[in-house]
This record gives sequence, C-alpha cells and structure tokens, in this order.
Amino acid sequence: MTDAEDRSPEGGEVRAIASGWKLAAREYLDNRLAVFALLILLLIVLFAFLGPVFYHTNQSLTDVLNGNLAPGAKPIFGGGAGHPLGTDEHGFDELGRIMLGGQSSLEIGFFAAAVAIVIGTVYGAVSGLIGGFLDGLMMRVVDILLSIPFLLVVLVLATKYSGTITEISLLFGIFSWLVPARLVRGEVLSLRTRDFVVAAHAMGASRTRLIFRNLIPNAISVTIDNTTFLIADSILSLAYLGALGFGLTYPHTSWGDMLGNAQTYINQGRWWLVWPVGGLLVIVVLAFNIVGDALRDSVDVRLQRR
Amino acid sequence: MIGYIVRRLLAAVTIVIGVALVMFAILHYLEPSPAYAVLTTKASPYAVKVWDQQHGYDRSEIAQFLSYLGNIAHLNFGYSYKLDQSVAALFKENAGRSVYLSGAALVLSLIIAIPVGIAQAVKRNSPGDYAVTTLNFALYSMPSFFLGLILIQIFALDLNVLPVGVSGSVTTTWQAIAHPKQMLLPIVTLALLNVASFSRYMRSSALDELAQDYIRLARAKGLAERAVLWRHLLRNACLPIITLIGLSIPSLLAGNLLIEWLFNYPGLGMMFFTALSNEDYDVLLAYTLVGAILTVIGNLLADLAIAVADPRVRLD
Repeated sequence: MTDAEDRSPEGGEVRAIASGWKLAAREYLDNRLAVFALLILLLIVLFAFLGPVFYHTNQSLTDVLNGNLAPGAKPIFGGGAGHPLGTDEHGFDELGRIMLGGQSSLEIGFFAAAVAIVIGTVYGAVSGLIGGFLDGLMMRVVDILLSIPFLLVVLVLATKYSGTITEISLLFGIFSWLVPARLVRGEVLSLRTRDFVVAAHAMGASRTRLIFRNLIPNAISVTIDNTTFLIADSILSLAYLGALGFGLTYPHTSWGDMLGNAQTYINQGRWWLVWPVGGLLVIVVLAFNIVGDALRDSVDVRLQRR
Repeated sequence: MIGYIVRRLLAAVTIVIGVALVMFAILHYLEPSPAYAVLTTKASPYAVKVWDQQHGYDRSEIAQFLSYLGNIAHLNFGYSYKLDQSVAALFKENAGRSVYLSGAALVLSLIIAIPVGIAQAVKRNSPGDYAVTTLNFALYSMPSFFLGLILIQIFALDLNVLPVGVSGSVTTTWQAIAHPKQMLLPIVTLALLNVASFSRYMRSSALDELAQDYIRLARAKGLAERAVLWRHLLRNACLPIITLIGLSIPSLLAGNLLIEWLFNYPGLGMMFFTALSNEDYDVLLAYTLVGAILTVIGNLLADLAIAVADPRVRLD
C-alpha cells in the first residue's frame, strides 16, 4: 500500500489510506495460500460454534461405562449409535468434545489478542505522543516485561488464576501487549509530526482527542498482522497450560486440556483421543500464522517477529 | 567499545532490577508470606504472626523487596518449604541435565539449520525450498509436546527402536550422557523446534549475502561453487544466527519445560513443573527470574558477539 501512499500529496492522507486498504485487500486475495488458510479458519470456527447445533452430544454428564470406545464401536451399555471419533475415559463423545474445546480455544485466542491490542495501542500511543523522559521510562517498562519469559510467568499466575475463559484471556493479554505497544509507539512517533496532527493540535484538540481520534485510527494498521500472530500464540500457550494441567476446569475444556494425558493415550493405543484434536490444533495455529504472514506482506509493514 | 559495554551493562542491570521488582510483586501478591505453607493451614493466626515476625514478613514491602534484592545478589533465591531445600541447591541439582539437554539440542539444531537454510537460499523458489518452508511453518505452529508425541508414536511405538521416555534410573547428568538412546528423542524434539526458526533466518540471511558483490567476485574468479558457499557465504550468513541464539533462550526454557515433562526427564523444567503442582512460589519465581536474567544476558552477549565477529559493526 505504500506505493500509493508515498506518492500522495500532503493532506491527501485520508483518500490515500482508503485506497491503500483496497490495495492491501487485493494483494491479500492474490495470495492463494492465504485465502485458503482464511477459508480453513472460517470452516473451523463454523465447526466449533455451529457444529453442536447439528451434532448433539452430552458434554456435561459423564458416562464412564461407555468410556474409551473406539471410533464407530457400539456402546456397551444402553445401546444407540456408535461415536464417529470414539469416547474418552469419561465417556464423553470425542467429536463433540473437540467442538467444545475448539470454542474455548478460539475464544481465548481472540479475547487475549483483543486485550493485548487494546492495552498495547493505548500505551504505545500515549508513550509516543508524550515523548521525552516519560516516554523513555514507559519503554524501559516494556523492555523489562519483554525479558520475562511469557510461558513461565503465565504458568506461575495460572496456579491461582486460571480455570475460566475470562481469567486465562486476561492473563495472556496482560503479558502480551508489549510488541503491539512498541509498534504503535513507532508509528505514532512519525505520525505526530504530520500536518494533520499538528493542525488538530493547533485547533486546540486535547491530547486525549489527538490519541483517540487522530493517532490510534492511523497507527492501528501496524498491529493487524501482529493480532493474528497473537491469536496463534495464545492458542498455543493455552495448549501448553491445558496439557500441563492448568487450563480450564470442568465442565469447560480446551484442546490443550484434552491432550494432558496424550502420552498415556498413545501408549495404550487410544489414538482417536490424540491425533484428531492435536491435528486440528496445529492446523488452526498454522492457518493463523499463514494469514498473519500474508497480512504482513499485504499491508507491507516491516517488523521482525521474535 | 568499552563505553558501549559499560552502558549496555548498566542498562542490563537496570532491567534485571526491574524484573526482580515485577517478580517480587507477583510473589508478594500470590503469597504474602509462606507461613501457612510451613505451619500448615491449621496454624493459629497468632502462630502465623509470630512466624512472620521471626522471618521478617511483617516489615514494609519496600524493606522486604530490598532484602529480596540483596538475597538475589548473593545468589540466594529463596527456600522451598515444600521440598525443604534451598532453591539454589535445587537449581544446582537439576541444572546440569537441563544444560545438557538444551545444549545438545542447540548444537544439533545449528548443524541441521545452517546447511538447510543455505541450500534453500541457493535453490530458492524450487519445490524443495517450498517443501522445507512449509515444513518449517508447520513445526513453528506445533506445540512442542505434540511434536514429541508424533516422534514417540513413530520411533518408540511403531518402529520400536527408541524408548518412550527417559527411564527413572537416569538421575545424574553423567547417566544422561551415558544413555544417548534414551536422550535421542527429547534432544531431537527440542532441536527440531529450533530448526524451524533458525533455518528461516538462515535462508533470508543467505539470500541477502548471495546478492552481494563479493559472492559474484568469488564466482567470477572461478572458485568452485562449494568453496564460494562454504568459505565465503557461510561465515557472513551465520552472523544473524549469533543474535538468534541469544534470543532463543526463552523458547529453550519453555521448550525444556514441556519436553522434560513429556519425556519424564529430571531437569530444571521438571523442577518447575513439580513446583507448579506444589504451588511452591519461591521455586517458580526464582526460575522465571533466572530465565529473565538469562534472556537479558543472552541479548547482551549476542550484541557483543556480533561486534567481535563482524568488523563492520562499530559500537560507540
């Protein structure tokens, strides 16, 4: 999008950005792999959220007598049809459970990224606009928090604050706003000397107004690709939390929670409890990463992802 | 150069103090005093108060933070009341095995990633390049323990050539080194995860270098392609890897945690996992703090190493 933007005359930013978005969309649609990844994501979201509407399973009452059924095997007690992906040790239908786990995994991915982007954008914009000593101080805080290993600190706090979707999303968001903050600050530093911002300031716009009406709307595009990476990372981190036993609590579940005993499952040959859910997890994270990569190319934002 | 090092060191120290402050705040928030952990939850409020007074937990937060900082400076990272051992002793006991696991994985990943990245750059946009890029992307998107599970399924269960995990009899670092067959799967799993990001950087770095004049000159004067790549390209293309090794410390630590958990290997990651289940906060925060300090040191060393390895970089 930069091509059109660079050549646009002073004061023509608004129109240039609008056409820039269109260019970015066209660039994205040219990338077949990225369009495919987006399609896959859409299908998985539909599968997780609309699937249970058509495929009813009981995911709150255990049915231990019919636990550990292989895919398609007839239930031992009570009769009825078999389960397409078998059952787990509690007798939950695995296919229905994957849908349920998918809902919470996707929700946490989106919420955590949203929290991080909101905090990061406001923090970065404030830091960039204020400048001077306070800006330096605020960025040192970012440096400090960036050097704390994310998964470790999140796990420590998860010993007390985990179990619900809200808690885990907040926990992830609170420790992952640092990269967006840096990106937005960098953008604001260049935006604040532009004529339209200087003009707004001269007309008496308050700092709050400058930040929310002028700076953030123009700077937010640098966080777009980062948002998808944040979603991917949050889903991965949730998988780690769940697998280690610090994920959601009953009756909720996530894909990671379902993989906590995966080692035992495969040792005992219960493959249907491992590969479908794990495979879907990898596909979702991979798709988000592909979409993020394509978005980065299409909005042409140069940033290195750690 | 000296001025730069001094300034970087000062900045690093400030960051470490800042990290210690965050860690102390979290520790204080999660567990203001370990009194109940020591005296059990049935202890009377009076007994708790006396214990707090005896151990300095009744002082102001600032005083407590300053003594926490002082303790860290003396490498005293607290006490695990659950395991009745000092955290420093726990670290000492477990560090060797984790260093062995991560070190071996790091070396193996470099041995794989550097040639792969260069080969990809030389044959860019070929089917092989696309295949490796896709594979890297998939590895990058995979939870580390899931990759471990796949390898266990293939090599331990289907082919039955390697053990499923590390046996309980491996308790010392020397025993771990003496049982390469048991260590192969954990090391390879951890290494492959690094290969994914290393070879990606290696490819783009080699691409940049391939476009340089000195490569054209080397080819023009008739050097064999092999000599061009191994003698000229390799050394220059490897520079970003130095930075990357410095930056890979957090992911190595997280990788260690999951891999040690999956393969039942007794190291620092396993110590951390046990502490999680025990809610043993001194151990948890000490490990996180050490991880942060290692990250800061890694960044610092990477910058300095680049300056030493690359004469074009002038630091002042």
